[in-house]
Amino acid sequence: MTIVSTHGLEIFRNQAPILAVDDLDIGRGERVGIHGGNGSGKTTLLRVLAALEPTLPGQVTWQCSPDQLTLVHQDPWLFRGSVLANVEYGLAARRVKRTARRRRAADWLERLGATHLLGRNVEGLSAGERRRVALARALVIDPRLLLLDEPLAEIDDQGVQAIDLALAQLSDTTIVIASPVGLPDGFIERTIELVAPRERASRV
Amino acid sequence: MEFLVEGLREAVRLILRGDPQVIDATGRTLAISLSAVSLAICLGLPIALLLARRRFLGHRLLLILFRSLLGIPTVFLGLVCFGLFSRRGPLGPLDLLYTPSAIVIGETLLALPIVIALAHGAFTALDPRVSETARTLGAGPIRRLLTYVGEARTGLILAVLTAFARCSTELGIAMMVGGNLKDRTRTLATATALETGKGEFAVGLAMGGLLLLLATGMTVLVAALGKEGQKNT
Repeated sequence: MTIVSTHGLEIFRNQAPILAVDDLDIGRGERVGIHGGNGSGKTTLLRVLAALEPTLPGQVTWQCSPDQLTLVHQDPWLFRGSVLANVEYGLAARRVKRTARRRRAADWLERLGATHLLGRNVEGLSAGERRRVALARALVIDPRLLLLDEPLAEIDDQGVQAIDLALAQLSDTTIVIASPVGLPDGFIERTIELVAPRERASRV
Repeated sequence: MEFLVEGLREAVRLILRGDPQVIDATGRTLAISLSAVSLAICLGLPIALLLARRRFLGHRLLLILFRSLLGIPTVFLGLVCFGLFSRRGPLGPLDLLYTPSAIVIGETLLALPIVIALAHGAFTALDPRVSETARTLGAGPIRRLLTYVGEARTGLILAVLTAFARCSTELGIAMMVGGNLKDRTRTLATATALETGKGEFAVGLAMGGLLLLLATGMTVLVAALGKEGQKNT
């Protein structure tokens, strides 16, 4: 069963193509890796799947509601304030009660090996710590479609192990990862190889 | 020179003694300016956010208009308000002329372009990931709005303080539509002008000193917050 599919997808910026993808069907619970060189459109494809890029009607079809998908940017933005408030953000948007929010946020930080960040403010966190907080913030809302842009960059070995373990336990969640480097062998079930549109044109 | 020093001494004595005239004008200045700035925030923030997040016909024109109104002379604004509130003016039947409400309305018009132009700058300077992150975490329109305000808060506080400093120290509007009536519409600025004109230099200096304190206090706060904002970016 498909959770998201694309048809004749092409994205232009300043009238130049920045992404061209063959028709794509991503199934429920599937773990997909996106590979490709610089400028091949990996991040743009994730943004399209996260409904952050305008597309023509019919180019992308989702079989989940908008609040069931989430994206973790390559360089995630953390809102000003505490780590806890950040991790709870999506739950607060879903009107989850405060005690349940706290419990679930603490639980996900623990699973990602980041319990020590619970009482911290986001200011002064390292790049790797910011990434882990952003990942906990995305995972805590239990998304059906999780889009990750280079999730393991700048994370230490211990962190990578914790994240690998946490992601491996998400059996019902579809995970699409751009540049899935550092994940255990066999984690990615299918690979999409992107080619920069100008290279595609020269190959034809 | 002696006259100046004596005036300054007397001014300090009046402030320290809590002279009723000084206290009264200070309280009224604060109340009027705070009301005007609060109204300008309520009206201006949604407009600033709309201008920052949407493009529509006349968008650029509106931005230019609000920016050009930043330096509007208060005496001109006072004149316009006088025309509106005077008996033969369109708002004459409301009988607002020479009331604190008239000054509040006039100062709201003074503060509005400041709040809009500076808040627009603060909102447009926000990283695009702020709205994208809020959206992909399922935040609805109200939560997104609160998130933008929270993330842009240094710039927004700067806007509010700048508007407050301009309102609390302005003379033109308070004089033209307030009329400088004792116990009713006298503010620190109008009292300073009046007392000095009457030859009560020490009282004028006390009022002017408090006004200066208010303005420099705001400037220091604005500068401190500006540094804070730079640190956070």
